[in-house]
Amino acid sequence: MLEIFLFAVPAGLVILGALIVIFAKNPVHNSMGLVLTLSSLAIIYITLNATFVAMVQMLVYAGAVMTLFLFVIMMIGVDKPEQSKEEIKGQTLLVSGTLLILIGIISYVIISSGFKWDLYFSPVEYSLEGTPDLIASTLFTEWILPFEIISILLIVATTAAIALAYDTKTRKHK
Amino acid sequence: MIEVSTDWYLTLAAVLFSIGFIGMMIRKNALIMFMCIELMLNSVNLTFITASKHFGTIEGQISVFFVLVVAAAEVVVGLAIIVSIFKKQSSASVDLLRTSRG
Amino acid sequence: MENLIFVVIFLPLLTAIGIQIISKLVNELLLNFLTINSALLSFTTASGMFTFLLMNKFEPIHLEFFTWIPNPEILFEFTLDGLSGIMMILVTGLSVVIQIFSTSYMSKDENYSRYFVYFNVFVFSMLLLVMSGNFLVMFFGWELVGLSSYLLISFWSKKQSAAKAGNKAFILNRIGDFGFLVGLMLTLNTFGTFNYEKVFSAVLSENHDSLSIIVICFIIGAFGKSAQFPLFSWLPDAMEGPTPASALIHAATMVTAGVFMLVRISPMLQFSEIGKLIIISTGLLTALIAAFSAINQDDIKKVLAYSTISQLGFMFIAIGSGAYVAAIFHLVTHAFFKALLFLGAGAVIHEMHHEQNIHKMGNLKTKMPITAAMMGIGTLAISGIPPLAGFWSKDEILASTFSNGGIYYGYWALSLLAAFMTAFYMGRHWLLIFHKETGNDISSVHEAPKAMIRPLIILGIFSVFIGFINTPFFHGLEKVLEETLQYVDITHLPEGITLIVLALVSIGAGFSGLLLAYLIYIVDIFSYFKIKIPFKEEIKELSSNTLYLNKLGEIIFVKSMKSFSRKTAVIIDGLMIDGVVNNISSLFYNSSQKISRSQTGLVRSYVVYFGLFMLLLIGLFIATPWMLN
Repeated sequence: MLEIFLFAVPAGLVILGALIVIFAKNPVHNSMGLVLTLSSLAIIYITLNATFVAMVQMLVYAGAVMTLFLFVIMMIGVDKPEQSKEEIKGQTLLVSGTLLILIGIISYVIISSGFKWDLYFSPVEYSLEGTPDLIASTLFTEWILPFEIISILLIVATTAAIALAYDTKTRKHK
Repeated sequence: MIEVSTDWYLTLAAVLFSIGFIGMMIRKNALIMFMCIELMLNSVNLTFITASKHFGTIEGQISVFFVLVVAAAEVVVGLAIIVSIFKKQSSASVDLLRTSRG
Repeated sequence: MENLIFVVIFLPLLTAIGIQIISKLVNELLLNFLTINSALLSFTTASGMFTFLLMNKFEPIHLEFFTWIPNPEILFEFTLDGLSGIMMILVTGLSVVIQIFSTSYMSKDENYSRYFVYFNVFVFSMLLLVMSGNFLVMFFGWELVGLSSYLLISFWSKKQSAAKAGNKAFILNRIGDFGFLVGLMLTLNTFGTFNYEKVFSAVLSENHDSLSIIVICFIIGAFGKSAQFPLFSWLPDAMEGPTPASALIHAATMVTAGVFMLVRISPMLQFSEIGKLIIISTGLLTALIAAFSAINQDDIKKVLAYSTISQLGFMFIAIGSGAYVAAIFHLVTHAFFKALLFLGAGAVIHEMHHEQNIHKMGNLKTKMPITAAMMGIGTLAISGIPPLAGFWSKDEILASTFSNGGIYYGYWALSLLAAFMTAFYMGRHWLLIFHKETGNDISSVHEAPKAMIRPLIILGIFSVFIGFINTPFFHGLEKVLEETLQYVDITHLPEGITLIVLALVSIGAGFSGLLLAYLIYIVDIFSYFKIKIPFKEEIKELSSNTLYLNKLGEIIFVKSMKSFSRKTAVIIDGLMIDGVVNNISSLFYNSSQKISRSQTGLVRSYVVYFGLFMLLLIGLFIATPWMLN
């Protein structure tokens, strides 16, 4: 019973936060919804025995990335409300069509499977704990090359961000 | 007795992804579109971790780190682009950007 | 000894290259010194070699240069026997004389050095042709003389007519060359070799069915190069080139390459009755048409051009009736007196300031007596007046034709008519230029410079005496060619009284032709006796337009080809090929225009497309589970 509780409550919060993200008018509210989603997901990760990932999720996503988001929101201003009128021709029609197809596919899958979810592979018996020890020993041995590449990617992204945001005109005036 | 099985998590990931995708389609603010992308990436992360538990391997969780880093990099660059766009047109609406029109 | 062949053949080529290299550095005098000395050296070497041949009873000398194609083995080889020896002497000798003339005629021309480059290239090609040791080397030279002829005809290429004449000569020669080329292929296919001796011994030892076809192919090649009917109309147009070049190429040597080639293949030719019949008929037809056309030409050079065609017709008559020695004999004598006539005409043109219409000349003998005398010798020689060169050779042809008997009596009679016409138009030519009082202003005309007169005198002397190399009393040329033609059945002259009667008849034809010309153009006998010739104007028109053969050819080939190619251009090229290409490109253009409209530049619509198609893909996977396996 506790298991279901531990799944259902964070799951509900995840969906609630996601809905806030896409429907709230104020960008600050959107970002708060995203924080809610990310934090609830961290709880779900813990129930999935991925404790270290949950920690990183909290630190990097809910901490660093969201701070960046909020910073930008504050920088470019929140006072300008978004236009609610649709300007792209046929966009409404296409969006509703896409949604209909999405719903159609999901209902077809649900109905055709007779409300029974059979996964092709059955779950393993033992439970795997995602400790920093285990993750580090795998990441720094087998996955060392992708790890290094991804670090290069981060550096490139950082440099790119500086190059993009650097205002050469005002610099030259000084 | 109802047991919390793998497919519950997968359903949650699917719902999260769908919400993120709908948000991409209906919102015009570039910032919020970025948040929607974060939502979709997180649904993928959830799928990876679920699979990691289901198959009892650690690689799923390691993939999450990579996704995390890519997401961070993307946010950094994307936000920088938004800032520079905003400097030009003082609006973050993507509908005003039509320079790549064919 | 045989290595001297290299000197003879390649010296002109080296000279051409040398002139081309140093042309910017030297003046005309130095250039003259270089080219004439090289020609003299070539001629001296050639004479030495001919003497050597003479002492060895014309035993052929072979020289293998290098292996051209290893399998089937084709060598780049040369042969020097009596036949090629004569041609070698002729080409190098005339080259010297005509180059001396050219130095004066072409002086102050802006492309002076280029002229001598082309000239030397021609001499090289002609020597390659005549001294070739197999058919392929001969073809090589054959094409090169065609090329250098083209270059010299359109030498003054700024003139539209010269450029067109060069093209015409080249294209009509191509038709003949096509025949030659097919003949070469058939030869290789039948005999497996190109070497003269091997081919001829194969012909002599066994019977080959395709021999007639091969021979006819070679005959077509000879017709193209030697301007025989119906491929003769390029030669009158070729007179657009410089006159000395015409003298060497279009009178003395290149156009006789066809005759040379037919004599060369005479061991094959003698077995093909149909080939001989074609040769003699075409030769006769050409001789008559060209002689008729020459009667009413106004251009001083065109008369000579038609006369050349007519004389070449005589040589073909000789070959057709089996008198190969007579053909070569006439080739040699004709080379001298026709070169003389051309150079004389060149001197006249030079002094008349490039006026070529003979009606605007007249009574030039008072102003240019030596030229007139030399041209007179040439005219008498070509008319067949004894003891000048033309008499001996032409009489030998006529007598040989007669001695074949049967149908050849008819050929003899018609050849006699052609000889009569030759005397007539040549008489008219000389009389109108040098004798007739026309009242034209010729006060500015002087005797030609010495550099022109001396070659004329040399050629004049030869035109008088060259005939004595092969008379009924002294068969010199026949001995020279004995080795070359040892397996060939040669028609010999008739004996005794017949020969004398025939000679008298042909002398009579020559004299009467000249006399008639004198009576008509000087005494003006028609108006004197008030005789009206029916259709006089029509005949004149017909003559000056060469029986309208050019127009006929133009209607048949040029017009129909033009309309055909225009239709092809419009329908096949324009509608089908271009249409397909254009339609495909416009299809891509239009469709990309339409598709690019979907590129709205709006991120959100891209998102929608992306999602839509992803969902469709998922739906496809669900609908077709077998695709996943």
